[in-house]
Amino acid sequence: MTAVNTTVEAKSAPTRSWRRWAQRHGWTVGIWMLLVFLVVWYSTLIPRFGGFQFSTIINGGTAWIFLAAAQAVVVIAGGLDLGVGGLLVLTSATAAQFMDGQPLAVAVVMAVVILIGSAILNGIVGWVVAVSKVPDIVVTLGSLYIYQGLALMMLPKVGGGSSDGFRWLFTGSATGIGTNPWPAVVMITVPIAVAAWWMGRTPSGLSLYAVGSDETAAFLSGVNAVRTKIVSYAVAGAFVAIAGFSTLAIAGVGNATTEGGTLTLNSVAAVVLGGVVLTGGAGSLVAVVPAALILFFFNPILSALGVNPNQAQVIQGVLLVFVMAIAGLIELRRRRRS
Amino acid sequence: MSESPSTAPPVDATDEPRPAKPSIARQLSARPQIVLIAVLVGLIVVTAIIEPNYLSLAGLRNSAFFAVPIGVLAAGQTILMLTGGIDLSIAMIATASAYVAANQSPNGAVIAIAVGLLVGLAAGTANGIGVGVLRVNPLIMTIAMSGILLGLFTGWATTIFAGSTRMHDFIITLGRGTFFDGNVPWSVVVWIGVSILVLLLLRRTGYGRNLYAVGDNAIAARLSGMRSWQVLVVAYGISGLLGAVAGLLMGGRIGAVDLQLAGFLLLPSVAAAVIGGTSIFGGVGTYTGTILGALILGVVQSMLTFLGAGQAVQQVLYGTIVVGLSWMYMRLAAAQ
Repeated sequence: MTAVNTTVEAKSAPTRSWRRWAQRHGWTVGIWMLLVFLVVWYSTLIPRFGGFQFSTIINGGTAWIFLAAAQAVVVIAGGLDLGVGGLLVLTSATAAQFMDGQPLAVAVVMAVVILIGSAILNGIVGWVVAVSKVPDIVVTLGSLYIYQGLALMMLPKVGGGSSDGFRWLFTGSATGIGTNPWPAVVMITVPIAVAAWWMGRTPSGLSLYAVGSDETAAFLSGVNAVRTKIVSYAVAGAFVAIAGFSTLAIAGVGNATTEGGTLTLNSVAAVVLGGVVLTGGAGSLVAVVPAALILFFFNPILSALGVNPNQAQVIQGVLLVFVMAIAGLIELRRRRRS
Repeated sequence: MSESPSTAPPVDATDEPRPAKPSIARQLSARPQIVLIAVLVGLIVVTAIIEPNYLSLAGLRNSAFFAVPIGVLAAGQTILMLTGGIDLSIAMIATASAYVAANQSPNGAVIAIAVGLLVGLAAGTANGIGVGVLRVNPLIMTIAMSGILLGLFTGWATTIFAGSTRMHDFIITLGRGTFFDGNVPWSVVVWIGVSILVLLLLRRTGYGRNLYAVGDNAIAARLSGMRSWQVLVVAYGISGLLGAVAGLLMGGRIGAVDLQLAGFLLLPSVAAAVIGGTSIFGGVGTYTGTILGALILGVVQSMLTFLGAGQAVQQVLYGTIVVGLSWMYMRLAAAQ
């Protein structure tokens, strides 16, 4: 760097750093502000907004957040996992089969086993993606089928259940309905914060971004691309397991006939809304969490406005395209200007 | 670009100069379609071992019934993959078209089919505008379209379409009727017609060249004066239309429609194109390969049915086999 350059930089430093900051974090801040705005708006739409409503949103949003986080980890590392919805059904069906009526300690041990199993299973999918060079869309559409089939084998009929203590962990009450949102808030914050720290501050986490933005460059600078891909899918598997536990905790019974495909679509939508670039290498869990909550939050808001769930789904789809088109336009203008 | 359709023959693996004494492995990898045919024959033999009655016209007809909708949908996927896109809404478009066709069935077969096809064309064109004009990522655009259609039709199924889920007899004949003593399904004839049109489109028209050009190098295509967005809008429109054709055939085969009509065909439609050698990144692929891919998946489906396993086991096996076949193809392509 020459002396001339340094002086120029020093002169325009305040504006430039502000612009850089806005460019880097603008989307995250915007999404959080949108979420806050929606919550405030919602509280004026319904007659009473208290602990019950708040915990309903947080509890119901937990599965969406973890599913979106799972998708985000994979997409940041340059992949795509259409199987997450199926894996959610599989993990919640498995949990329903083994946790029914168990004391909390046993349920937690079960949960850890299922979580590790889910991570290994999806890690295998990641291995296939990385080694076979088959497009990730094809491999994970295949894993979606496989997971749904396995879920049906695990739990042929709607049934099973969760343990009371475990339900409290995710919903703040043993019945799944309550006014205490804090257990769910903790269950969301701790894993997400750990993962966000891992991805942003540790070499193994940062290698996800490296592989996602340019696999060859990452390989040449000594990153094990295959291992990184496997790790990204495995971490996604672990997140999906948490989403599965939350789904079971709220429903109280397992249901292996749930359409995993729709859940997957939600996760992709949340990731995109959260500012993660689908081609990989950029994005943050910190923005994906509010994006997933916003998507989940659409339904209560629209139903408060008197819109039925089917119409809500239509509006959601149109909004998604709209947001993407505008984001694309902004990106295009920025590139033209520079 | 568009005035040189037939002067340049389609780039084929066989055109490449081969070494003087090619090994068998290398020869095979230079002609992946021979391998696909070998796989197809191998699968038919395995199926015949599981169920000896399979090796008859009636048995093969069973596979044809499975392969036809996959082949028609995969034609749409092939066209889009050539441009570097994909249509994850194609199964939902098929279902939607079948729904509308069933609703219009009391008005006669012509109107039912026309309106059904129109629905597919409209939904596909909307996808095309999203991808081509608004520059939304194809995955997002078609995922959103799938959600929009699902929302619309879930609502309409119990309101304006309530009670009208039966297909017109003519569409049912197309879907599950046969001729020549019940040995050749009419749906196969429809598929052959679609195949000829798609093959001609890709190999003999300027538009077909444009599809390859957009997918191979979008910037070069633009610099040579091509309007990519027009190519894309038409491509997605065609894909939607093919989705509608498959939807009508599926609806005709079942006889009635519901919201789960074609959903399970999404993976096979993508997989048939990939197994057949179409690159998901654009510019590379033929419909001939896709046809072989669809036939292979049809035989796999028959095999799973004869195994007598439950739906869950079938799903697991099917997913595994699809990924396995794609993997095998990728290894062959890499060897080349």
